[in-house]
Amino acid sequence: MNVILWKDTKKNISDIEKKAPCYYAIDFDIPADITKGYITTDKKNFEYETSISEIKKYDENTDKDLLFKKKPASVTVIKIDSIKKIDKKPISDFKLNDNKSEIDSFAVGEEFTVEYKEKSEYKIPEKDEDVIADLKARGYNFPLSVVDKLAKYKKELPPDKYEKLLKRVNLEIEKREVDPYEAVGIIAAQSIGEPGTQMTMRTFHFAGVVEMNVTLGLPRLIEIVDARRIPSTPSMTIYLTKEYKNDGEKVKQLIKNLENTAIIDVADIITDVGDMSLTIKLDAYKSKDRLVNISDVINALDKIKGIIYNQVDNERILIKLQQESFKRLYQLQEQLKVTPIKGVPKIKRAIARYDNSSNEWILYTQGSNLKDVLNIEGVDPTRTYTNDIIEIENVLGIEAARNAIYREAENTLSEQGLDVDKRHLMLVSDMMTFSGAVRAVGRQGISGRKSSVLARAAFEITSKHLLKAGLLGEIDPLSGVAENIIVGQPITLGTGAIDLVYKGQKK
Amino acid sequence: MSFNNVSKRIEKIKFALLSPEEIRKMSQVRVITPDTYDDDGYPIEKGLMDLHMGVIEPGLKCATCGGRVDECPGHFGHIELAMPVVHIGFVKEIKNMLDSACKSCGRIKLTDEEIETYKKQLSAINYETEDPEIIDLTLKKILDVAAQRVKCPHCGADSPKVILDKPTTFREGGIKITPKEIRERLEKIPDDDLIFYGLNKDAARPEWMVLTVLPVPPIDVRPSITLETGERSEDDLTHKLVDIIRISQRLRESRDNGSPQLIIEDLWDLLQYHITTYFDNQTAGIPPARHRSGRALKTLVQRLKGKEGRFRANLSGKRVNFSSRTVISPEPFLSINEVGIPEIAARELTVPVIINSFNIDKMKEWIKRGTSPRTPDGKYIAGVNYLIRPDGRRIKITDQNAEINSERADIGWTVERQMTEGDIVLFNRQPSLHRMSMMAHTVRVLPGMTFRFNLAVCTPYNADFDGDEMNLHVIQSEEARAEARIIMKVQEQILSPRFGGPIIGAIHDHITALFLLTHNNPLFSEEEFIHITSYLNIDKMPDPVIKDGKKYYHGRDIFSLILPEGINMKFKSHLCAGSKDKCEYENDPEDTYVVITNGKLIHGTIDDEAVGPFSGVIVDRIFRKFGPDAAAKFVDNVTRLAVGFLSFNGFSTGIKDYDIPADAIARIEEISNETIEKIDKLVEAFRAGQLQPMPGRSIEDTLEVEILGETGSVRDESGKIASSYLGLNDPSVIMARSGARAKMLNIAEVAGMVGQQSVRGGRLNRGYANRTLPHFKENDLGAYARGFIKSSYRAGLSPTEYFFHSIGGREGLVDIAVRTSRSGYMQRRLINAFEDLKVDPERRVEDTVGSIVQFKYGEDGIDPTRSDEGKTIDIDYIAYDELGDEQ
Repeated sequence: MNVILWKDTKKNISDIEKKAPCYYAIDFDIPADITKGYITTDKKNFEYETSISEIKKYDENTDKDLLFKKKPASVTVIKIDSIKKIDKKPISDFKLNDNKSEIDSFAVGEEFTVEYKEKSEYKIPEKDEDVIADLKARGYNFPLSVVDKLAKYKKELPPDKYEKLLKRVNLEIEKREVDPYEAVGIIAAQSIGEPGTQMTMRTFHFAGVVEMNVTLGLPRLIEIVDARRIPSTPSMTIYLTKEYKNDGEKVKQLIKNLENTAIIDVADIITDVGDMSLTIKLDAYKSKDRLVNISDVINALDKIKGIIYNQVDNERILIKLQQESFKRLYQLQEQLKVTPIKGVPKIKRAIARYDNSSNEWILYTQGSNLKDVLNIEGVDPTRTYTNDIIEIENVLGIEAARNAIYREAENTLSEQGLDVDKRHLMLVSDMMTFSGAVRAVGRQGISGRKSSVLARAAFEITSKHLLKAGLLGEIDPLSGVAENIIVGQPITLGTGAIDLVYKGQKK
Repeated sequence: MSFNNVSKRIEKIKFALLSPEEIRKMSQVRVITPDTYDDDGYPIEKGLMDLHMGVIEPGLKCATCGGRVDECPGHFGHIELAMPVVHIGFVKEIKNMLDSACKSCGRIKLTDEEIETYKKQLSAINYETEDPEIIDLTLKKILDVAAQRVKCPHCGADSPKVILDKPTTFREGGIKITPKEIRERLEKIPDDDLIFYGLNKDAARPEWMVLTVLPVPPIDVRPSITLETGERSEDDLTHKLVDIIRISQRLRESRDNGSPQLIIEDLWDLLQYHITTYFDNQTAGIPPARHRSGRALKTLVQRLKGKEGRFRANLSGKRVNFSSRTVISPEPFLSINEVGIPEIAARELTVPVIINSFNIDKMKEWIKRGTSPRTPDGKYIAGVNYLIRPDGRRIKITDQNAEINSERADIGWTVERQMTEGDIVLFNRQPSLHRMSMMAHTVRVLPGMTFRFNLAVCTPYNADFDGDEMNLHVIQSEEARAEARIIMKVQEQILSPRFGGPIIGAIHDHITALFLLTHNNPLFSEEEFIHITSYLNIDKMPDPVIKDGKKYYHGRDIFSLILPEGINMKFKSHLCAGSKDKCEYENDPEDTYVVITNGKLIHGTIDDEAVGPFSGVIVDRIFRKFGPDAAAKFVDNVTRLAVGFLSFNGFSTGIKDYDIPADAIARIEEISNETIEKIDKLVEAFRAGQLQPMPGRSIEDTLEVEILGETGSVRDESGKIASSYLGLNDPSVIMARSGARAKMLNIAEVAGMVGQQSVRGGRLNRGYANRTLPHFKENDLGAYARGFIKSSYRAGLSPTEYFFHSIGGREGLVDIAVRTSRSGYMQRRLINAFEDLKVDPERRVEDTVGSIVQFKYGEDGIDPTRSDEGKTIDIDYIAYDELGDEQ
C-alpha cells in the first residue's frame, strides 16, 4: 500500500495538529488511493503519521481557506483527518518510488510491513527428555549434544550399564571443564591472532567471474574483527523457495530483477551542447546481457521531471530539457548515468549456480541488500545470507549478528586450512555483541570502553584518557590485567585470582 | 624485602585535577631561579636542581627527607607564574564553558525547567558502565542548547559568541580574552552546573584549568647526565622549565614596572607557548620547541605516549634481571622438558635461597665453594655469587672471602647460588604469539655457548637454528617456581588450546626415520637392532625372527618398544591419507590403516600423522590416556629412536633424486610445446576476434582464464609424468609422502616443470610499455612473454624465466612483510580487548565490571585443550572404553 511522505516545517505541523481535520494544499501530484502519510522535519526520520481521507485536484476558485504548503504551485488538496506523533521511523523503512535517500519535498512510497511470527518454542525431542529426567534425578547437567547421544545408548543398553555409562560421562565432563579463573579471553585472542601470521593476503575470485571476488584470509579476518560498516566485498548467498529453486527460467528472471541496472550499464549517453540535447544510445550487447529493452529505459525516464524525451529508433532516445540551461543539462547527464532502470539497489551483479549436493539453484551476488532481497518473491528468507555483519544486525537483530560473526570468522579460518576451536570464535563474537550492539575490537569499540583509565591509557591515545579521567574524577578499580601490571601487582586471573594459605601442621 | 611476608594490594586509584593550593602544599620549594648548578657544580638553592626536590648525585643528601640516592623518592617543587596561562589539555572544556556559561553570572544558559529535565537525564546515566561516546553525545547536546542562547535566563545579560583561535587564544567579538579573564569567568561557574560540562565537582574546578601555579617534577624524573667530557647535559623537561621561569620572571618585571601593554602581551603569549610545549610539544598549530641541535624536545605528553612511551615501554612491559639470551642449537638427547645452558650463563644466573635450620649446613658448604667450583674431574657444579644479609646488604662472594662468609652466614640470610641441574627456568622466543612461546624447562648445564633443546619443541616456539636467539629467565620466588612446574612445563603444554591437538611432535628427519623404520615392516639384524635402540632405555627385547639361524627384528616391533602398554588405536597414516580401501603406497593392503593393539604396532606406517606436530594422533592419545609424563617420555623416545636409526642407516638427499629418464624429459618437453602451441592458437583466435567470451567477462579476461587453465594443467601433467618415475625408494619422495618436508608439488617443480608464474593471481603483464621485457615484441601475449617457465629447477631456468621467477618470488616476500605487521596489530587489539575475561566457578565468562559475556563458556563449559577434537566429549569412545565390546 502506498503512502505519501513529505518534509514540512515545525510550524506547519503544529498548525495541522491544531486544526485537524483540515484540508491541506500541496504542490505534488499523488495517486488517489493514498490514505496514510508521514511527515519528517529532518529529511530522514519520520516523526508524524497522518491519516488522509480525501484527495482532490486543487481548484483556485473554490479552495481558499486551506492550509498551504506552497501557494502558487498547488496542484492537490488532501484532507488530513488526524495527525499523531510516532517513534522515529527512518527512511529505510519505506520503499520509495524514486529511490531517494532523503526527502526534500514529497515522495510516494511503499511502507515495508513486517509480519511478526511468534517463534515456535524449541522442543526438546521426546527421547531426549527421558534422558534429561534421568540426569536431573542424579544431579547431572550435560550439554544437549551429549544428551542426544545418550538417548541412543539408553535404548540399547541394559539399565545397569546405562547407569555406569552416565556416571562415567559425568566424570569425563567434570574432568574436561575449564578451570575457574582461566584467562579464556587471552587464550581466545592468541588462538585467533597466532594463525594470522600464516594466512595469505589475497582476494579470491569465485564462480569464474572477475568482478565477483570475495575478500578472504587476513584482510577479511581483520574486517570482521573491526566490525566495519561496509565490508570491502559485500556479497549475498540467496537461496530460493520450492517453486523457484529448480526452475532455470524463473531463476534467470529473478536474476534480471535482482541486478541493479542503471542507464549507463546498458547505454551510452551522448551530450550535444549545441543542440542542448542528450541522446541515450542503447548498447545492443550490454542490453541483451542484462535483458533490458528500450521500453524499460523509457519507463525509467518517466520518473525524471523537467524533460521531454523522444524515441528516435530502436536504440536511441533523444532528450531535451523543458527549460534550457547548461547547468541543468550537465546535471541531467550525471543524473541519467545513475538512473536505475530496474533491480535491487546495491546489488551490482548476481549469478546462479546449480548446487549438486542439494539439487537447487543458488544465487550469489556482488553487493548486499538483505532487507530488499528478503522481500522478493521466490527468495527463501530463512536461508538467505549476507556477509555484511552490520546489515544483519540492522535487519535481523543482534543475536543474528552474533551468529554471523561466528560464521564468517569460522569460514575465513577454515578456508585457509587453519584449525581453531569454535569456543574461541564464540567468545569473540559474544564479546563483540553482548552489549546489544556490535562493537569493534579496538579503540573505538571494546578497548575504548574499558572501565580502567590505566588500561585505556596504555592501549592508545594515552594523554586524552588521563586528562579526561582527571576531570571526571574517575576511579580506577584495578580489576583488570593491564592496570595491575602497570602498578606492579599480581593480576586477578588464573592463579592470581585465588589465595592459598598454609595453616601448618597441628602438633 | 619485607613484602614477602605481608601481602598488600592497591585497591583503587582516583584521578583528579590539582588545585593551586594543593600544588603549593605538596611542593617542597618554590623555584625562582632559572638555573641549575653553580660553577662548582653544586645545585643552586631555589633553582631547578634544588636539593629539596631530591638527589641524583651520590654523596649528597636530600634536603627534604634526608635520604641518599636510591633512598629518596624525589619531591615536587613549584613555580608561581606571573600571569595565569591556559592548560593545553583542557582547551576544549574551557571553550565549552565559555560558550555555555553566562559571562556575568556564571550560570549555565539554560532555564530552570531545562536544568531540571537535563539533570534528571544525566543522573540516570551510570558513568561506570555507560558507553563514554553516548555520555559525550548527551552532554554535547545539552551544551549546544545553552551555547545557542545569547541571553542568560538567570540574569538577563548577553553573552557574545566566543571563538577559539587554535590552539590557545580565545576571542570574543574579535577581542582577545586574556587567560586572567577566562579564569575569572570560570571561577563564577557554580559547582552545581559542573555536571553539564562533564566535570566531577569532587575532582575538579573549572578555574584549575587555567594555571597560576606550575608543579615542578622531582629531579629523579628529569635527571641530568654527565657526559664523558665532564660536561653536564640537562633533561628536556629541565630545559623547558628554565624557559618558563625565565619568561615568567621577565613578565613579572615588565608588569610591575609598567611596561607597555604590547610588551606584556607578547611576553604573556611567550609564556603560554612555553607552558603549552612543556605539556605537549606536538600541539597542532604551533611549532615544536627545539633543542639547540634542532631536535624537537620530548616533553610530558611525548614521554607517556606511544610504543616507546612510559606506558607501553616501562609500565606494561619491564626489563628484568636474572635473564640471558644467546643463539639456540638442537640437541636430540635432551628431554623436551630440558634446556641446555652454557656454563658461562649458569655461573652468572642465580637463584635466591633463604638459609633456614634445614639447609644451613648445606648452604655453608655451598658458600665455601666460591664462585667457580668444579668436581675433581672438572665437571660444573654450582657456586655462590652473592650473600644478602637480613638488612638487605649484598656481599659479593669471591674465592678469597668465601671461607669467611661461609662462617658468617646464618639463618635468615639469603644465598644467591648459581644454576644447577634441575632448576626450573622460563624459556622464550619472540614473537611471543601464544602461551607456548614461553614455557618452563629444567636446566642442564652443558659445554658450549648456546642454548640447546629437543627438536620436538621447535614447533611451539616456531624456532629454527639458522641463527635464532632465545631468552631464558631464572625464576626468583618459590610460588613462581611451583606454578612454572605445574602449569608452564613443556609437557603440560603438549596440547595446544587453539585446536586441542598436540603442538609438540617429531619433525623433519625424525619423521623420515620412523617412516623408514616402519614402512613395509623391514627386518633388521641383531647388530642393527642394537645400534638403532642404543639410545633408548629399554628393559625387554622384542621377539626376534629367526632366519638362517640369525636373529632379526621387525621395524614395527622396534617402534612398539616406545609405545606405552595398553594403547589401542586405528587411524590412517599421512602416506595413505587420500586412499580409500587399499593404499597404493603400501605392499600389504592391511597397512592402509595404522593399527596399534595393546601398545604393539601391528599394521601401517608411522609418519607425520602419527607423531608430527599439529596432527600427532599417537602423542594425543598417550597424553589423554596416560598423562603428560608418559607423553613427554614418548616424544623423548621418538627423537632418540629416530636419531638412533638415522645414525646407523643414514638418509641423504641430492640432485640425483630428481633424475628421470630421457624419454620422460622428452615427454614433458613435448606436452609443454603442445601447450605453447595451444596458447598461440588462443592468442590468434583472440586477435582474429573469434574467441567466444565466457558469460559475464570481457574477451581479454576470457583469454587469460583459458591460458591460465592450459598452463595449470600442463604443470600438473608434467608433475604426474615426473612422479611416475620417482617412487618410494627416492629420498625426496619419502620426505614428501611421509609429511617430513616438502610437498609432491615441489618435487614436480624440480624434476618436471616450474610452470606459470603469477602476480596477483594473473599472468605477468607489467614492466615495459606493452611488454614484460624488451626481449619480446610489444603486445606479445604468448606463453614465454608472460611468465611461463617451461624448464625445471633441475634443468635450470633461462635468463628471462629466472627473471620472471624472481618477480613471483618477490611478491611472496612483500606479502609476508605486509602480513606480519598487519596481523601483529590485529593480535595486539584482540589481546587488549579480551585480556580481562575470565571464567568464574560456575563456568560463566565475565569481564572486570562483572558483566556476563557467556553463561557457559563455549556453550558447554569445556576447555578446548581437553575437548575431543572440539566436541564436548566422544561418547562412543567413552562407552567403548567403559563397557568394552560387550555393549
